[in-house]
Parts: sequence; structure tokens; C-alpha cells
Amino acid sequence: MSRNGSTWAQITATTQDGHDISTPLRFTTHHNLVYRLVLSTLTGRTVHISQIRSSSPTNPGLAPHEISFLRLLEAVTNGSEMEISYTGTILVYKPGLITGSASGIGASGGVIHHELPSNCSRGLSYFLIPLCLLAPFSKSPLKVLFTGSGVITSATPTGDMSVDSVRTAILPLYNQFGMFNNVELRILKRSNPGPNGRGGGGEVQFTFGHQIRLPKTLHLMNAGRIKRVRGVAYSVGVSGSNNARMIESARGILNPLSPDTYIFSDVSSAPLVPAPDKSNPNAKKKIGLGFGLSLVAESSTGCLFSADVASPPSGGEAPEDIGRKCAFQLLETVSKGGCVAPAAVTTMLTLMTMGSEDVGRLQVGREVIADPNTVQLARDLAKFGAPGWGIRDAAGENEDGDVIVSVVGRGIGNIGRKVA
Amino acid sequence: MAVKRRKDTAVVARLSDEKEPSPPPVNDAQDIFRKYFEAQFEPIETSASSKRKSDALSSGDEDIDEEDEEDEDLSEVDSDWDGVSGDESDEEAEVEVVEHKDANLSASDLMDKKAYKAFMSAKPPTSADEKKKTAQVTKKDDSEDDAHEAMNLKNDLDLQRLLRESHLLESASDLAPTGKNRLKALDLRMQDLGAKESLYKQKNMPDAFRKGIKAKAVSKDEKRRREAKENGIILEKPSKVAKTDNKRRERGVGGSSIGKFSGGTLNLSKQDLEKMQSSRGRGGRGGRGGRGGRGGRGGRGGAKRGRF
Repeated sequence: MSRNGSTWAQITATTQDGHDISTPLRFTTHHNLVYRLVLSTLTGRTVHISQIRSSSPTNPGLAPHEISFLRLLEAVTNGSEMEISYTGTILVYKPGLITGSASGIGASGGVIHHELPSNCSRGLSYFLIPLCLLAPFSKSPLKVLFTGSGVITSATPTGDMSVDSVRTAILPLYNQFGMFNNVELRILKRSNPGPNGRGGGGEVQFTFGHQIRLPKTLHLMNAGRIKRVRGVAYSVGVSGSNNARMIESARGILNPLSPDTYIFSDVSSAPLVPAPDKSNPNAKKKIGLGFGLSLVAESSTGCLFSADVASPPSGGEAPEDIGRKCAFQLLETVSKGGCVAPAAVTTMLTLMTMGSEDVGRLQVGREVIADPNTVQLARDLAKFGAPGWGIRDAAGENEDGDVIVSVVGRGIGNIGRKVA
Repeated sequence: MAVKRRKDTAVVARLSDEKEPSPPPVNDAQDIFRKYFEAQFEPIETSASSKRKSDALSSGDEDIDEEDEEDEDLSEVDSDWDGVSGDESDEEAEVEVVEHKDANLSASDLMDKKAYKAFMSAKPPTSADEKKKTAQVTKKDDSEDDAHEAMNLKNDLDLQRLLRESHLLESASDLAPTGKNRLKALDLRMQDLGAKESLYKQKNMPDAFRKGIKAKAVSKDEKRRREAKENGIILEKPSKVAKTDNKRRERGVGGSSIGKFSGGTLNLSKQDLEKMQSSRGRGGRGGRGGRGGRGGRGGRGGAKRGRF
């Protein structure tokens, strides 16, 4: 945390870089790696990331999910070059154009098939949320089919949200920036994390068909009041009564606070992944059993707050506990205030930065802006040459101590569209 | 357990009681008797106690020994009293446990299939679906009775009219337009009914005005299209504007090709004269020069484009 220990002034300070675009921006460590790569692709700046887990004696270098994300980037863009050092501790990434799923390199029949390795421990939202940030600026519509023995659709112990929450809490945010046509996230097969939290057998299709030149400037300064709560309870390969039990306990807490609370139930069988052995090379095994709950609260002004809890891969937790935990997590997220949940703040602020050259404003809870991830995003954005954020206290009856973040758009938007 | 707690609270109540009233003194033989009686049996009713209180107020100082004695006795009495009122204080003091659990989660609470489909589809959910549902419900209610329907139809008409003419009302104070606004509203309704043009359309106006109006309209449309394009919104195709400006206006047969014929004379303006002279003066040379110049410019333009 020592990296984040400095003052606010550093965030608001503008660092207009005057140096050459061709020289790579230098970063260290694997923290925020994905968003650094996304920003690099959006701004067209080369990045040089070193000291990636260099101090780890057992697993130095890039992790499987990071490699997988690099492969996804390569499939979505045209002309990107990446160099990884022998130990995997240094990565140089030179971005290309975001082409989307035009037939050719990665795509077949307009769909990119992306396979995740079986030792992947991150949820699918780790890949989806950054991909959503790239999708509006691609040249053609983006369609990606995630398959393989590493697709985990549920929430994970590593802190990723479930795919349901991405669909119900992250994708509707793009509506506010003027992207709403042909955006789909279809869960073909569900899967919880497998043994030891690794692997899964899910299948998810993601379509983003609304490409724009520039996102609309956003002014979101009224959080409103929570109007309704929706949710999805999922159980994979286990009894559907788990869903009923989670729903029962979550509603027990939420219903008195918000009468319009409904949680839908989705029961599916466990996915099968190939597990060849000597006697039977076609053998398959069940993977990713478990259950979980995803809750989304919507305010009267359309702000979304989400919560996600799933059963741990080791098991041993009652569905009632999961339901209660998830309800409390939702209440905690709402109590942080502002118009954006912590899980969505990266998406919102990045899109605002990519917007037209105008000042957008966003009310954010004090705890949310002080989150290490948000601070890290601010630093990274500054390094990529985005103007600094202006932060002031929100006006009006501001009992939560919210702040208003003013973000000046860079007007980069869609390079592919600019040329076409 | 509950009994024990009750005792505790009773004691607390007594202690707190002891603070405020000074112990009642005894200077009456009757009171002594009463004390004795009360110690044996139940306490006597309120009138006596109120009297005792008044006594307590009247008497300033008293014997300490007696007081102690009395205090003991009284405290016993008080504790008896608190035993009666102690139930109340007990209820107040007991921590109320409220469990957030809804007892009446019935099957009717479960969402219907439509809502399930709307929320669980591949699309990100929107709040529009439910609004639609409520709208349908209200419609059904309307159709139930005809009188309401007629009334609603009338209101609808009024509302539509109001909406259509609302831009006129900005300055007006009430809903029924008067004066200029009334005339404008009437004109709008005429056009609705099929009038070809507005009654107030100006036929003749200075050319500069007309050009200005046209240019403004064009720039407005252009701005709208540009913004839509930036935001990725597809608009209708622009209607093709008939280019009448560049065409030569057709003249009457046998009329002159230059000047203005009026009152039996052909009037030539200064521009006309200039035009005649220049065209004659340049002749072949001028034409070629002009063409050449234009070509040159085009070439330069092309080069520029190439460089970009």
C-alpha cells in the first residue's frame, strides 16, 4: 500500500506529457496490468511493464490469466506486438488497431473463439469488463465466445464478480454513454470455480454491436434512492433448493428495506470437461459445482449497485449464510454512497476520459474514490497523458460526504472510426 | 430467568425512586397505625398516600432515627408498589429483538414468467419492461366503461392539441390562447386539417432575409447530422434539394437574354454592362485562362489531398 500512500494533490495534478509518443511508458509490477493494457490500446501508447512478480520464487512472471488476456487482446486487435521476456517478468506491448471480430486473424465466421486454460483462477468478469471498455471503440462489432476448461461464470474467491452481475450492473452503464444497441451477454453454460478455485467449464457469448465515435459526456450527480432490487441465484450441479434457501434469507433482509425485491433462480447441471486417462482417452469429469447469488440494486436515477457472493470451492458454507452475506454486501455497497459502485468506477471513469473534449461530472462516495484501485487508475491515466481529475465536495444535502469528480474527456474515441 | 431480571429492575427502580422524594415523616398517630397495618397487610389506597405526600411537603425537619425506621418500612412498601408497577418498567427495559424476516413470502410474490424472461435474457435488463406492463393495465381499465372512454378521448384530444401548440404558450399566461397566440393556434389547426400553407407565410421578402433563413435551416440540419454521426446514431437520409439556383431561369420566348424589359424599354444595369464587356473583352483568351486557372487549382488541391 506504500505506493498509494501519497496525497490527493497528486491525483489532481495534471501531467500533460510533452514527450515522444514512440517511447514506451514504463510501469512495474502486475498490479492493474489489465487496465494498463486497455489504456495502452485505447491511447495507442506502447507500454513496458517490468518486475512482474519478479520476487516470487515459485511463480515468477505473468500468470495464466494474464497470458490469456494478452491472447484475447491479440485476437481483438490488428497489428499489436507483444514481447515477453524469458522469465515472463517483463512485458512490452505495442498496441494495434481495435478491429473487433472482423473475419481474419482471430475470428471465424464473425466470432472470436477464446479458450481459457484449465489453470485459470479468475472469474470471467476479469476478462469481460476490460473487453467491454475496448468494444465501443472497435472498428466492427465484437463477438467473443469464451470456452474452454477455465471459464468460471460465478463470483470467485479472487474477488471477481459473477457474469450475471456484469450483465445486470456493468453493461447497463454503457446505456448512459449512448451505447445500447445489440449488446448481449449470453450465458450458455454456468460454472462455479473448480477444485482449489481453478478451472471451470462454463461457456459465455459476448456481443457488443454498438460502436461509436465518442462516448457521450456524462453528468451524473444525483444518486437518488434505491427503487428496486433484482438478483439471480444460481446453482450448478447441486440441488435447486439451495437457490430457494439463498433467496429466502436474502429477501428476509432486503424485503423490509425495499419491497420491490425479486431474485430469480437458475438451476443448471454441472459442466463436463475432458479428463483423459490411460484406459479411457475420452473420459470427462464434472467440474465447477456450487451455488451463488448476485444482487443488483437500482436507484430512482438509474444508478446501479451490485453484490456477489458464491460458495467457496472448498464448500462447507450454508446457502442461508451466502444469501445473508450477499444481502449485507449489497447494503454495504449502497451505504458507500455516490452514483457508482466500487466495482463499476473503473468502467465509468475510463469511458468518461475517452469521451469528447468536455467536462463530465460524476458523484462518487468518499470511500469509493479513496479505494486503492481508483487511486491507481488515476495515476495510470495521468501517466497515459489524460488530464487530471478535479475533485470537490458535492453540493446540496451531502450527508455521506460524497465528492464530485470532474473528468475532462480526451476526445480520442474511436481511431478506427476516424479513419473510416 | 425472566423473574430474576424482573427483581433486578425492581431494585433499580426503587433506588431511582429514593432519590427524588424526601422520606415522609410521621407525626400523626393515625399514620403510625397505618404503617403498622400496611406492614401486616396490603397498603391502603391512594387518598391516604397523597395525604402522606402533602404531609411530607409540609414538614421540614424530623428525627433521623425515626426517618431511618420509616425509610425501611417505606422502602418495603415502595418495593411492593414497584412490584405492581415494575411490570411496566420491566417491559420498557427489556431489549426488543426485531428479526428482519418476512413471514408472508407467498407464492404470489414470485415473479411471473414474463418478468423472468425480461430479466434473465441475454440483454442487459432495462427498467422499461415494467413500465410497459403498467401502461397495458391502465388501458384495460379504460376499456371497461365507455363513458370513461369518451371522456378520455376528449381529454386526449385536448392534450394533443395542447402539446402541439405548447410552444406558443410559453409567453401566454393561461391555456386558452388569446390575441396573437390564438391566431397562430388557429393557423396550426388549419394546417392540420389540410391547408397547404400557413396563412401567415410571407411571400415576398428581401433576398438577404430569405437566404439567411435558408442558411440557418441548413446549418441546423447539418449540426444535427454531425452530432448524430459522432454519437453513432443513424439518421434518415437527407432529402435531395433541387438545385434550382444554378439553373438559368427560363425566360419568355423572344425575350432578351440580358437586362430587364419593362415599360417597353430594355434596362441594362451596371452589372449587365460589366458582364457584357468582360465576356467580350476576355473572349477566347479569358475563357482559356479561366479554365487553366481552375485546372491548376484543382491540381494543387489534389496534391494536398495526396499528402494527407
